[in-house]
Amino acid sequence: MAAGFVALIRRTIVAVVVGMAVAAVLRVRGRGGVPPQTGGWRELRDDEFE
Amino acid sequence: MTLLKAKPANVVVFGAGATGARIVRMLSASPNVNHVEVRDPDSTRLREIINSCDDSVTAGRGLRVPETTDAAVVASPPGTQAAAAHAAISAGAAVVTTSSDIGETRDLLAMDQFAIRKKVGLVVGAGFMPGLTCLLARAGSTELDLVDEIHVAKAGTGGPACARQHHRALSSLSVDWRDGRWMRRPGGSGRELCWFPEPVAGRDCYRGALSDALLLVPAFAGIERVTARLAATRRDRLTAPLPMMRRPHPEGGVGAIRVELRGRCGIERHVVVLGAQARPAEGAAIVAAATALHLINRGFVEGASGLASIRDFKDLLSDISDRGLRPCRFEGFIAS
Repeated sequence: MAAGFVALIRRTIVAVVVGMAVAAVLRVRGRGGVPPQTGGWRELRDDEFE
Repeated sequence: MTLLKAKPANVVVFGAGATGARIVRMLSASPNVNHVEVRDPDSTRLREIINSCDDSVTAGRGLRVPETTDAAVVASPPGTQAAAAHAAISAGAAVVTTSSDIGETRDLLAMDQFAIRKKVGLVVGAGFMPGLTCLLARAGSTELDLVDEIHVAKAGTGGPACARQHHRALSSLSVDWRDGRWMRRPGGSGRELCWFPEPVAGRDCYRGALSDALLLVPAFAGIERVTARLAATRRDRLTAPLPMMRRPHPEGGVGAIRVELRGRCGIERHVVVLGAQARPAEGAAIVAAATALHLINRGFVEGASGLASIRDFKDLLSDISDRGLRPCRFEGFIAS
């Protein structure tokens, strides 16, 4: 009975640690979107302020 | 609206860091400024600035502002600006602040009635972001009949105080405006790839403790969403909850800001994207100095507000552009 309870605790801890590791990897890796495929930046002309 | 006197003005500048030093030089070079008094607890830095400028620049001490002061520019580290602004308003001087700290921005906006009683203008957050972002949001809004959403983002840091603020912002709660109410979300969440003007280009940006929404929401009645993000690297995000591992650089490299407005033009939905690139300390100094000169030359509505609430924003934007901080527009994508 006690051994089963200890195993349950151990599995829970392992599951939490693995979950945290996966969350950390997901948080750090990847990108936030797709860059624009067309278009670009141009400076505003003075008459565009008026 | 209160107009300051026509003769050259006396200005007090709090802070002699990367931003403050540039503000002092820009103001002292203006024919509309008679005298600039600069204050900073670091006497070495103070001496360097005094030696590099002409006789119109002198050193001062403490927070008390002389009654002969026409305007004060507060470019001291975040957390110290509200007290300096209060002292300047008490002396009847118009004030320009540069803080991006959420708590301090709230404190400064809460001085609205005090500034009205003293018949002075208090400009809150007149830097690169907030500051130029607020001005560009105001400028972009003229192209839309109705603005539904404003999303601002920045990349890069100015001096050491700015770098520390950036580090703190990533590990603190953000303040966003969504569907008519404030939402607090964890800093470092909400990754979004933002495209900045060259040479910064694409950077992953995240929520952070940024004050832009506090300044933009009051200026755009009925707006549905306002968010602010800052660019960060993986190392920035991993080390955000920890103290800074090393002393920040004296000044960061080239940074950029980006303002995206979504709204309606007639029955169509439109997106306007404006931005600018500069060294953040230089960009902040240009905006703060131009705003101070705008206060001196043209006056400002009494009370506390951000630059998004300014009425004659075109003159100020034009002055900022003439000083080398040229706004850009992103063009060529399909409007939704």
